[in-house]
Amino acid sequence: MNHIKLLFFATIRDRAGTKSLEMEIPADMTIQGLKDKLSTDYPNLKDSMKSVLITINREYAFDEAVVPSNAEIALFPPVSGG
Amino acid sequence: MKPSSRPTIFSITESEIDLNDLLAQITLESTGAAAIFTGMVRGETRRGESHDTAYLEYEAYVPMAEAKMKQVADEIREKWPVIEGIAIVQRIGRLYPKTPTVLIACTAAHRDTGVFEAARYGIDRLKEIVPVWKKEVSPSGEFWVEGDYIPKPGE
Repeated sequence: MNHIKLLFFATIRDRAGTKSLEMEIPADMTIQGLKDKLSTDYPNLKDSMKSVLITINREYAFDEAVVPSNAEIALFPPVSGG
Repeated sequence: MKPSSRPTIFSITESEIDLNDLLAQITLESTGAAAIFTGMVRGETRRGESHDTAYLEYEAYVPMAEAKMKQVADEIREKWPVIEGIAIVQRIGRLYPKTPTVLIACTAAHRDTGVFEAARYGIDRLKEIVPVWKKEVSPSGEFWVEGDYIPKPGE
C-alpha cells in the first residue's frame, strides 16, 4: 500500500468538507482508480469527479497515471485566477 | 544579455500589489519599455448576465501556483527572447471592487519588441494553468467562479 496526501480546493473542498486527507492506496492505483475510490468513499464528491483537475506533486496528471508513494495529490475545478 | 541578469518575479501574496516597486525591480539600464496588465475586482458587471459584486474571495494552491507562474515566465522568455524583466503577481484573500488582484509586467529595450504581446500572453496563460480560484460574493448570494481550460499533458 502507498501512503498519499490529498488536498482539496474551491468547490471540491466545499463538497469534501475538508481541506486535506491522508490515505493508504494500492501501489498500482491510477488517477482513474483514485477518482473511483473517492466517488465511492465520499458520495458528495461523485459529481465533481467528471470535471475535476488533478495534480501529482504539483504537476497536472491524467487518468492513466499511476499514483506514486508519498504523493501530494490535489483536486480542484478549472482555475479562475486573475 | 545573460539570462541570469534578467529579473523574474513570481508570487502569490496577501498584501497590496505595489506596482512601482515591481516595475523598479524589472527595469534594467537597458530597459526602455514596459507593458503592464493589471486586473481588478469589478463591482458592476454589465457584459453578459448583468450583476453586482460585493467582493471576491481568492484562494490558491500556493506552491504549485508559484511554480506555474515561473513556468509562464519561462514560456514568455522562450517566445519573446528579448524580454528583459518579468513580474507576475496574484493577490489572494478577500478583495473589494476597484482593488487590483493580479499584475503581469514585462520590460524590454523598445516597445516594438513584442512586449505588449508578452504581457497579454502572461495573463492569458495565468488564467489557464495557475491554480487560483475566486468565489464571488454579492448581495444575493455567493458562487465559485470556474474556468473552462483543461490543461494538457506537460502543462
